Amino acid sequence: MSLLAPLLLVGLIGLGLPLLAHLRGREEPRTIAFAGRRFLAARGEVLSQRRRLRDRLLLALRLLLLALVVVALSRPVTRHDAALAVLGEPHDAILLVDGSRSMGLRGDDGPLFAATAPAAEAIAAALPAGSRLGLLSSDPALAPVEPSADPQAALRALEERLEAGGPRPGSWRLSDRLPAAATLGDRDRGRPRVVYAIGDRTAGGLASLPPSADDVAVIPVAVDGPLDAPADDPPTHLGIAAATWEPAPEIDPRALRIRAELRAYGPADPERRRRALVALRIGGETITQAEVEVPAGGAAPLELTYTAAGERGPLPATLELVEAAGAPADALPSDDRRHLWLAADARLRVTLVNGDPSEVRAHDELFFLATALAERGAGERERLALRNLAPDQLEGAVREAGAAALADVDVLVLANAAAPAEDVAAVLRERVEAGMGLWLTVGERVDADAYNERLGELLPLLLREPVLAGTAPGRSEAAGEGFAPANLDHPALRGQSSDLGLLGARARRIFLLEPDPSRAPEIALTYSSGAPTLLTRDYGRGRVALLTTSIDRDWSDLPLRPGFVPLATRTIAFLGDRAGEIGARDLSVGQPWTSRLPEALTVVTPSGRRVALAADDDGVRRFTDTFEPGHYRVERGDPSDGEASGAAPLLFTVNVDPSESETLPRPIAPPTLAGDRVLAAASVPRWRPLVGLAALALLLESLLRLRRRRRALAASRP
Amino acid sequence: MATDPDRALAAILPPALLDLLRGRALTLARPVWGQRGGRHRAARAGLGHLFRAHRAYVPGDDPRHLDWRAMARRDRPMIRQTEGEDELSLVALVDLAGGMAYGEGATQKHRASAALVAALAHLAIRQGDRVGFATGGDGAIDAAHLRPAGGVPRLLALAEALAAPPLRGACPWPALLAAAAPRLPRRALVVVASDLLDPCPDAAPEAADAAEAELWASFAGLRARGHDVVLLRVLHPDELDPPWRGGELLRIVDPQGARADLEGMAAALREGYRARFQAHREALARHCEGHGIHLLEVRSDAPLADALLGLLARLSGAPAPLDDALLGAPQPRQAGR
Repeated sequence: MSLLAPLLLVGLIGLGLPLLAHLRGREEPRTIAFAGRRFLAARGEVLSQRRRLRDRLLLALRLLLLALVVVALSRPVTRHDAALAVLGEPHDAILLVDGSRSMGLRGDDGPLFAATAPAAEAIAAALPAGSRLGLLSSDPALAPVEPSADPQAALRALEERLEAGGPRPGSWRLSDRLPAAATLGDRDRGRPRVVYAIGDRTAGGLASLPPSADDVAVIPVAVDGPLDAPADDPPTHLGIAAATWEPAPEIDPRALRIRAELRAYGPADPERRRRALVALRIGGETITQAEVEVPAGGAAPLELTYTAAGERGPLPATLELVEAAGAPADALPSDDRRHLWLAADARLRVTLVNGDPSEVRAHDELFFLATALAERGAGERERLALRNLAPDQLEGAVREAGAAALADVDVLVLANAAAPAEDVAAVLRERVEAGMGLWLTVGERVDADAYNERLGELLPLLLREPVLAGTAPGRSEAAGEGFAPANLDHPALRGQSSDLGLLGARARRIFLLEPDPSRAPEIALTYSSGAPTLLTRDYGRGRVALLTTSIDRDWSDLPLRPGFVPLATRTIAFLGDRAGEIGARDLSVGQPWTSRLPEALTVVTPSGRRVALAADDDGVRRFTDTFEPGHYRVERGDPSDGEASGAAPLLFTVNVDPSESETLPRPIAPPTLAGDRVLAAASVPRWRPLVGLAALALLLESLLRLRRRRRALAASRP
Repeated sequence: MATDPDRALAAILPPALLDLLRGRALTLARPVWGQRGGRHRAARAGLGHLFRAHRAYVPGDDPRHLDWRAMARRDRPMIRQTEGEDELSLVALVDLAGGMAYGEGATQKHRASAALVAALAHLAIRQGDRVGFATGGDGAIDAAHLRPAGGVPRLLALAEALAAPPLRGACPWPALLAAAAPRLPRRALVVVASDLLDPCPDAAPEAADAAEAELWASFAGLRARGHDVVLLRVLHPDELDPPWRGGELLRIVDPQGARADLEGMAAALREGYRARFQAHREALARHCEGHGIHLLEVRSDAPLADALLGLLARLSGAPAPLDDALLGAPQPRQAGR
């Protein structure tokens, strides 16, 4: 038993009032004109105030009546496990069905999504008369059903969707569709709208929902058991959380090392280990298998090597969990596969221009950057082809060969270099426009005016002047500027953990920039004051990044921070990725693939479908239907010409989002409704009998009063 | 007769009581002294039939009254005297104070008092006696009909005065007595109809007690002057024993308006009432007994027939039922004559 409005119990204090009034109240005496008055004598003090309770029964009845009314107003309810929480008045009910991949988890009763239909039917059956039912899924593949008085429309649509198969991978979050649910159909503002979110208790499911949004009440309905009961532990399932590859030249020039992370999702139990058999398939052929033991709730690394014997070009590889003989089927099979394009010869060519070289390695401008890029790992180093140049070498090469000198450069880093000459700057502009990445880092040798004049067109923001950072000029120990948390929404840093490991860093000198919204820079990192630290800008098909402090220790201790390595490698990869020509990109399902390549592009999906991509106004070609995990090829050139351009196809893979594999239930707050609304069915109202009792007490009180009055009348009549 | 007295009195005299009066007479145990002949034994010799005494002839006596046999025995002329039979003068002094309004319906004190007075007057008028009355209430007296007169008009006037008077205030007994006493014919029957609970109300208890003692003395004075004084004391049962019980809060108001209101719990108020009332009652009874005053207590809830018959019996000489009178029980049923 619980109370919907427990605060109203304060009203019980009011019980004291009639009692007090009864005791304190002056009794109106009965007046009798009595001829024998002279024989009556006043004895002592005449107290017209009641000193003790009279009419105890009547008083008790009235107190009971008041108490019943107060308790009834506080609306006691008992929770009912079997019942659903449904608003107890006619309303627009929107079924918001969780379409995230975790709904495909198989339990003893089959997959979770199969429980969606009974839940929806139960809600439809429990709706008060006059309600309308609509349907929406977090997966947009299910066409929304506008609220209608006929609940069958929504239920049929749901049924058809469920018959079509399990949830589509797509990293759907229930909360993303909440605004759509709030505005679905013609919204009658006078009519309450309640979103019944049917899903599991994972982060992408019910746990993503706010209690209410846009004056819409949200009532979570868990398919894995009642909300107020602790959820049963979900079955443990295995998944491949990540897979990368790198060249392994120490084994063989064409050897590749494939690393993967296997996770056993479910309740953590280090004692329990699951055996997993992982197969590497290339082009449908099983190359090798490896067995890994994964602790329940934990992860285990896997490393495979493969030597591409005679194959040329990228190979479509798939890491797949194989069901071991006798082992139970995996509870969530959708994450048992991970796709990779294996290419033994893909390199990112990075040219570093050192503006402040030093014989002491630690004082060299590029020492930290080069180390960070090299420390990425043996394989990663192989994927980066680093070349060091002095500024005059760069100028010489450019003057000699023009743009061709930079043709094999994917990313150019100008580290504390003096502004290039005008003719060199023009070549740089041309190359960047063609897709080269350019990273400018500042220092003592950077002259703001020269840079603005020659490379101002490229710069994310124009440079103003270097200043000493900090709020206390003249106090060296206080001088310095901290770093704000990195903007993980920036494409270069997307997917990083929340703390990049830069929070302790301080910059002593920084370069101020001229604000200019028209350049639309994307800011990846800022100082704690809000001034940008690392900002990028698209220029043509290429990208430009600008670091407003030095990349060595002269101006800041940024390079000493552990976050510097991911920051550097991410930035380099981001700048080089723009060309769209090197390596394969790994996308999550639903993540669009974009390209600025000028020629016609045709995407070939894993299932063989060919989709021609049209460029939009900005010249961007965008492929959004990446809901099918697997290997995608993008063919360049117009196929109708009969002759492809001959350029190597662009490759990317689409893999499921491992975050959707997490099936551990999160705590979900039971539904609450604002105002006077009551949840029917979920909690069985217990106040109605109280109202009946109060009415009975009222009747008894009236009868008692009537009887008393009669008696008093009879007594007063001589 | 122009008007039937029975119908005129219907308002105050219940028909049952009128039936009871049929064939009954108002008789007094003691002789009366009327102006005219009547049917009451007179206190002087008259023209009756019953032998009274012999006396010596004195010149001037009617020779027809000479008793020859007595002259023969006594050897001197003797006059034979007979009892006289005179009319009776009934004077009713009726209390119309607020206290007489107590009681509901048939048990109202004034109703019982008026019925009894009217019944007596009816009897008296019917048998040719004369009736005078005066009322006192609301601090004033009405002595317009004090001089006894016979005939139906007087009865009607009495009925009118008693039918629906405003019962309020106090009855100024001293003034009433002062008005009535000098104008009473000799040997009148003075009927005082009242509750006599608080005849001389005064805020100061001592003053009230003194005035009451004076009033009692006045009654005794009337008796001393040869009148028959009947105190017809009409009491409500509540006044004998207040019915209030428990913790009820009461405000007791003096209906005569002289005494202060009294508030209190019913039980506390009631305490000692009976003792004080009884003491007062006994004192009055002793006073009446000592001065030859008829004290008749009538309970207003008792059957009026019983009360009336008891009253008639007492007037015709029946002994006072001591205990009952004091207890206020209905008078024993007795034939009037």
